[in-house]
Amino acid sequence: MVDLAATFEENAMEASAMVWRCERTPLSLRKAVGLAAHKARGIVLSEPEFLGDSLIAGLRGLAGFIPRPDDDQLATADAGVTEAFAGVASTGSVCVALGRPLVSATSLLMPLNIVLLARERIVARPRDLFDPECLKGEGLKRNLVFITGPSATADMGPLVHGVHGPHRLLVLLLE
Amino acid sequence: MNVTEIEPKSAAVGVRADTPRDVANKSDKDRLLRAIRMSLDIESTTVRANTQLFNRGRYRAVAELPDYDALKDQARRIKEKSIASLPELIPILKSSVRAHGGHVFVANTAEDACRYILDVCHWRAAKMVVKGKSITSEEIRLNHILEKEGIEVVESDLAEFILQLADEQPSHFLAPALHYSRERITALFKRKFKTELPLDTGEELTRFARERLRDKFLYADVGITGANLIAADTGTLMLVESEGNIRLASYLPPVHIAIAGVEKIIPTRQEMAPFLDLLSASAVGQKMSVYTSFLSPPLTDPPFALPGKPMKPREFHLVLIDNGRMQMREDPVFKEALNCIRCGACLNSCANFQTVGGHAFGGETYSGGIGGSWEAGTSKLENARFSEMCTGCTRCVNQCPVRIDIPWLNENLARQLNQKELPATLRSVLGSVTGAATEDRSAPIAKIFFGNYHYFAKWGTRFSSIANLISGDSKKRHKDGEGEVKETISPARLLMERWLGLDHRRGLPPFPKQTLVQAARQLTAPSSKGRDTKVVVFADVFTNYGMARRGIATIEVLRALGADVVVSESVPEGRAALSQGMIATAKLHARRAAMELDSHVSDGRDIVVVEPSSLSMFRREFSHLLDSKERFERFRSRAFEPVEYVVRMLAKSGRMAQQVFDISKSKVGYRLFFHAHCQQKTIGCEEPTLALFRELGFDVVTSNVECCGMAGSFGYKKDFYDLSMAVGADLFGQVVQQDRNGGTRQIVASGTSCTEQMHAGFDRSVLHPMEILASLLEVQESAAKLGELEEEDRELESDVASLKRGRKEVSKS
Repeated sequence: MVDLAATFEENAMEASAMVWRCERTPLSLRKAVGLAAHKARGIVLSEPEFLGDSLIAGLRGLAGFIPRPDDDQLATADAGVTEAFAGVASTGSVCVALGRPLVSATSLLMPLNIVLLARERIVARPRDLFDPECLKGEGLKRNLVFITGPSATADMGPLVHGVHGPHRLLVLLLE
Repeated sequence: MNVTEIEPKSAAVGVRADTPRDVANKSDKDRLLRAIRMSLDIESTTVRANTQLFNRGRYRAVAELPDYDALKDQARRIKEKSIASLPELIPILKSSVRAHGGHVFVANTAEDACRYILDVCHWRAAKMVVKGKSITSEEIRLNHILEKEGIEVVESDLAEFILQLADEQPSHFLAPALHYSRERITALFKRKFKTELPLDTGEELTRFARERLRDKFLYADVGITGANLIAADTGTLMLVESEGNIRLASYLPPVHIAIAGVEKIIPTRQEMAPFLDLLSASAVGQKMSVYTSFLSPPLTDPPFALPGKPMKPREFHLVLIDNGRMQMREDPVFKEALNCIRCGACLNSCANFQTVGGHAFGGETYSGGIGGSWEAGTSKLENARFSEMCTGCTRCVNQCPVRIDIPWLNENLARQLNQKELPATLRSVLGSVTGAATEDRSAPIAKIFFGNYHYFAKWGTRFSSIANLISGDSKKRHKDGEGEVKETISPARLLMERWLGLDHRRGLPPFPKQTLVQAARQLTAPSSKGRDTKVVVFADVFTNYGMARRGIATIEVLRALGADVVVSESVPEGRAALSQGMIATAKLHARRAAMELDSHVSDGRDIVVVEPSSLSMFRREFSHLLDSKERFERFRSRAFEPVEYVVRMLAKSGRMAQQVFDISKSKVGYRLFFHAHCQQKTIGCEEPTLALFRELGFDVVTSNVECCGMAGSFGYKKDFYDLSMAVGADLFGQVVQQDRNGGTRQIVASGTSCTEQMHAGFDRSVLHPMEILASLLEVQESAAKLGELEEEDRELESDVASLKRGRKEVSKS
């Protein structure tokens, strides 16, 4: 049987994302995010939908956390924490469902994007999310973005990471 | 490289160099030729490096897709179905978008689209628009219209940002600034922004551009994007990108306008699934692009409102553009182009595009092989003149994720352009004498010549001594008044260049004293008794009149393997005519070849075709040229490449290759450089040669170029000789590189024109694989005939050389 998490990890790293495996406890999660964003002057958290508030709640106590950011703070914050709707093993992509407050902003505006991905939400291929049977068919109904590595360009000669979107993408794979 | 090195060569002699804009519209030939010169001078190195990088990535990425072919079939079915049902899908899409609170406008023309977008901007008092990459917005010249009305247009895709600064049109529809090296971007930024900041790395340039663009996103009133696909059932846009600028343009400003051609609509969101894997792999050689969004706008998040920027409600407009597409849809040939998903795989796999890019091989908006149909469909036929640069090599065919037959589109464009020529008596007479179809007699003389090459080859062979004298020596040397030796083009070659467009620098292969058909008649055929495998070797025009030895070697090898072999009459099968857009003539030729082979096939004979471009006709192009699918299938299923057939015969008989061929007899050593013909690769006939030679113990390396650059008549033409040689340089470099690594290798090429191109690069023998195999046979029944032909070739070359010497003496005296 294919280990989807291992395949995901391999392909995500190939796409220049970082993947950290993390226990699914508030403390472990807080430690991991704190470590990843330890230099951040501002951390913004999108509203969770799939993981449960009790797991996420600890992040609100991190130094630099901005509780209710205005647009000015969103434009200048350093790190955004986003929850993934799904992960895709074959491509190493995280799939983020848009629409809940701050999801677009945290996954796009800050130089560091930390994405929380629950292991059981990893599917084999991108097209699986277009199957009405997969994840209750939500993939066919929601506004989604597949994110595969940090934003990049080859228009300036060599490949450069960090263009209009995040320079770094860290996936916390929640075991 | 410094800035001065990238100045065009012509600048050095005080001539104003062409800019890409000067030569964007190629409705006249002169601009096409200037564009080729400009691109070869300035852009070629960078274009080649970048396209080849994409191309290698694509080969790697699609190889990792386990069901690549099934995905292509699925995508093709979805696109075909969508195009067929467009009139029904448009109202469904309108309802879906309106159900979310969005607006839809269907624009019949580019002007209608621009007017609507301008109206939206005026209603919302927009002062600044930020744009994501959209080739369709280039097609409708949107920037120009908005800027004329005082609205600032900010291109946010970094490639488009570069082009906006440089005032150039895109050279590639996926990577619009693909022709820009890092050094040229540095020079451009320093010049335009008058900055002393260090901009010597990709990171510095990216940071510099990002800092200038971030505020534009935050304060823009309107964001404009394109769309890769649109689902009618949900109004979902599929948006693929790497930088994040499309996400920003659709998320930050209060108004989002998406512009898309109507052909982007597919029935359902679920049917977007196969394109997820296909698009990124085909386009950028990645498993998935950085961002692939599925949005049914307007978004629910509140738009961004920084201090000083008024909060406005979110709004979405979808502008669907016809601008000629519905007319293309009605055309039985050009509706094919509407299947295009703009991945650019056809551009990156094209040897000519790799060498000059889209500023030469492209028009004002669209570029590459697929671009001609789009320029013609959305503007006018003459703007598609650059499609002449499609040589029909077919390397794009298998790379297209939706299986578009791009060469066929370009052959049809050439046909239409031929018919635009004014009628002239000489062309009409020449067309009539050579047997060209009536509709093709208005084509330029050069095209009638190349398209009916069999006619001239037949007469050239009959009078080979005179013909070789005329065509052999292109330069005439004489002393001027001061005793200096001067070279002038020989009058015959000058006339050929003027009338037939044959470049005087290109060596012409001599006409043989004996054709393949004549030489084969002199062979003693073994008794057919007990020989169950029956073969007819098709005497294609190129082998019959130019490379008879290859045909004789083929006969000898097949007989040695136990086949009962006969040779057909030499008739054209339509390749030459098709390559000139003389489709009616190609149909005549194809039917003639089919009739010639009919009785052989009925006798149970398989067809072996030595020249790969001729074989490709049987395997591919006859589907367009013969009367029915059944007729096409009758010949497709029986036509084989010689080595492919040898491998089949060996497998059938259960014999090992070593039992028939003895490598120790090789007269050319054991190191081979094999260059397979482009069309041979497309129809999957490269592998048998490689496998057989390796099985026999040869050390074989192959070229990885898509095409040698000769491409039939293309490299002979004075308009394209320089380009042909520039393309060939890649192949020559690979030969030299391989030679350096352990010593000279015997060059082996399957195609006639590839052989001629190799001769242009190297003063060395070039053999066909069957010639090598024939020399390895345990029993060489026809060795005497081959020796005789070799001797004739030597005599011929010697005759031509002595004639040249004689003429020099005459000119001296």
